[in-house]
Amino acid sequence: MTRFVIRRVLWLLLVLLIISLVTFLLMHLVPGGPWARAKPLPPAVIAAIDAKYGLNKPLYVQYAKFLWGILHGDLGISYSYQDRSVTQIILQSFPKSAILGGTAFVLALIVGISFGMAAALKQNTWIDYVCVMFSTIFASVPAFVLGILLVIVFSVILHWLPSGGWGKPSDIILPAIALAALPAAYIARIARASTLETMRQDYVRTARSKGLKERVVLVRHILRNALIPVVTISGPEFAALITGSFIVESIFSIPGIGRLFVSSVFARDYGLIMGTTLFYAFIISIANLVVDILYAVIDPRIRYD
Amino acid sequence: MKGRTVFLSLLAIVIAMVLILAPACSSKTTTSASTPQVLRANLGSEPDTLDPNQAAWAQDLTVIGQCFEGLLSFKTDGTLQPDIATVVPSTSNGGISSDGLTITFHLKNNVTWSDGTALTANDFVYSIKREVSPSLACPYASFYFNIVGAQAYYSSASDTSDQQAALAAAVGVSAPDNYTLVIKLVAPQETILDCMALWAVDPIRSDIVAKYGDNNWTAPPNYICDGPYILTTWTHQTELVLKPNPNYWGTKPKLQEIDFMEITDANAALAAYQNNQLDIVAVPEGDYKTYLNDSSYANQRLLVNQLATFALEFNCTQAPFDNALVRQAFACAVDRNAFITDVQAGVGKVTTGWIPPGMPGYDASAGSQYDFNPTKAKQLLAQAGYSDPSKLPAVTYTYANTTDQTTLAEFLQGQLQTNLGITVTLNPEETNTYQSNINAGDFQLSWFGWIADYPDPDDWLLSEFTTGGGVNQTHYSNPSFDALAKQAESDLDNTTRLSDWDKAQTMMLADAPIAPIYNSEGFSLVKPWVKGLDASTIDYSLPGDRFYDQVSIAAH
Repeated sequence: MTRFVIRRVLWLLLVLLIISLVTFLLMHLVPGGPWARAKPLPPAVIAAIDAKYGLNKPLYVQYAKFLWGILHGDLGISYSYQDRSVTQIILQSFPKSAILGGTAFVLALIVGISFGMAAALKQNTWIDYVCVMFSTIFASVPAFVLGILLVIVFSVILHWLPSGGWGKPSDIILPAIALAALPAAYIARIARASTLETMRQDYVRTARSKGLKERVVLVRHILRNALIPVVTISGPEFAALITGSFIVESIFSIPGIGRLFVSSVFARDYGLIMGTTLFYAFIISIANLVVDILYAVIDPRIRYD
Repeated sequence: MKGRTVFLSLLAIVIAMVLILAPACSSKTTTSASTPQVLRANLGSEPDTLDPNQAAWAQDLTVIGQCFEGLLSFKTDGTLQPDIATVVPSTSNGGISSDGLTITFHLKNNVTWSDGTALTANDFVYSIKREVSPSLACPYASFYFNIVGAQAYYSSASDTSDQQAALAAAVGVSAPDNYTLVIKLVAPQETILDCMALWAVDPIRSDIVAKYGDNNWTAPPNYICDGPYILTTWTHQTELVLKPNPNYWGTKPKLQEIDFMEITDANAALAAYQNNQLDIVAVPEGDYKTYLNDSSYANQRLLVNQLATFALEFNCTQAPFDNALVRQAFACAVDRNAFITDVQAGVGKVTTGWIPPGMPGYDASAGSQYDFNPTKAKQLLAQAGYSDPSKLPAVTYTYANTTDQTTLAEFLQGQLQTNLGITVTLNPEETNTYQSNINAGDFQLSWFGWIADYPDPDDWLLSEFTTGGGVNQTHYSNPSFDALAKQAESDLDNTTRLSDWDKAQTMMLADAPIAPIYNSEGFSLVKPWVKGLDASTIDYSLPGDRFYDQVSIAAH
């Protein structure tokens, strides 16, 4: 297992290097630049700013400078937010996306697994139909439609919850629901399918015929095995949720990293683009690694060498 | 059994949570005895920088404008008034020398910084030199190149530090004593005082910048300033909170707190306003009609004229727009009234002139030859050799693919089809790509807008239409225009200067490198308890944001 983890970490470093190179090239190939403005800056000023940030040097020199910075833990500076370094920006905004994403993830897991399993255990009853309808609806409704609907109903009409912002516990409720709806729907469907399959396994019938209580059969035998497919998608799902969603963060004005990731591309903020892309790649790789380790924990049949 | 219990208990938990949390979060109303004097407005996005020397975006200026005061500032009618200076320098009071090359400012001697230190002329000397320093590459540095030695110092990035220091010492700003500032110019320039009223030369504390660094001194509590407010908290991507400056030398403001929220989505900001989380909000263009016609918002609507003009832009080096007659034909072919009524729901004012009303140089009859006239448009096109419009080379309209610009593009396409019989191809581009392509001249027909940096024609005609001008996107080149502009630029007699600029504007409009369509109006909603808001053409980014120190909040 240790050798497995070490191998994966080495692959991770290689993957990050390749991603940084591809992102760097794409970033500079895309037309436009950081200083394009609706009210154009005079060419003399643009030349001076380019010189200040080293943008007039050849690309390989700029890339080498970037790599050198990374080795010293410095992700560079942001052109859009001139008083903070990229590292500071990411460290300040990631926790907010992570808290929101984590809350949405837990909510999606609870709702998704319970709905999915309930539907499977009570197949072809009204519970099953309601759960399948729920998962179909929320798999189809985009997050921004749901988000805006929630804001209109709970904030503008009822004045129960704030329409956005970050700081109070009540700020998390609406965005977490908007974010969690789609993952919950997927998890419910997968949990339902895999529970149905597990329920029909021989060892479940054996457990029941041994005379075990239904609750014990459920928890000890069905649950753990039915959850393996859920764990498969949970890893990437968790990574996607904690790295923030541009749409939900824009609608609810959450100072997270999802918004930054997209807005930095529009603004051609090279430092922030590289920093956030590498950060995302890192998080997703770690999440996949954790999922693979969890397999071995949940299912003793799975072994790594 | 198990499934149903799980399902129902989950439902019960969710309902309980909402019921428990909801009443605790509903908005409160205040009693008349305890109305907090807090103004909440939406800045729209995180400021790039709060360093006056380096700021360029309008939302940066809204915050800087609360915290800093400079030598001079603008009144709502566009004229200058002294802030830190005792009087506005002029030739009659000796502030401007007779040859126009020396400007002397006398400063008030009771001005203090927010940490209690006295403000002196050296703070201005430091700020002006920093504005044109080679290492900072400030975006508005070019506005000060008429100061002796400024441009040489700005271009010295590749020199040694000794050479740079020598160039810095040679810049023509000095403080003969603590309360006098002397500026030496290369050529006389009537509008140098307008440039000295900009935020870019607000006083800066050299010791604070030296201690915390160019990029870190703007974080509270290092951010020492001289205006009515100080920045107490900056929660990045969320909000900025300003409170009154305890050491402010002038009249203490009534507002005890200003909260600038950073809600990037315009509709989310509108929802926050309706949920009483904001006191002022800008109405998105798609909602103009709704809020103009809804009588429940009658006492909340605020329409403010802006010193801004928007125009069709032609690339004068590309066929068919290298022919002035074609450009003039297009200018006559757009029904501006239909644009304002149908697309803008009545918000905005039609114009055929470039310089907007409300500032010197405005000419109500400018461009009147381009009033909407489809017959005349077709005649002009025939004169150009295209009596059959289908023989015209293919025309593409390039624009940034935002919602507002897309509506505008479709409107223009419809107008040109109906009135001239020309099919224009639409070419939407991502905003940043679009801006970069336009600046590189990669377009045929596009849209051009200008918002005043300061209220004078030389901000509207010099770099936009002189040959090789920094903002000359149309590549318009007319030697007679260049000569007139050069003459007007250094003319100290205001009457002849403005008349020269008027002639220049008429000349430019006759050649039609642009076809002005409308002057914009800002449409905002303001809560009825906000009193004393003075919104005008000189707002930075929010209505009345130059004079928030005069606002108060009534009981509600």
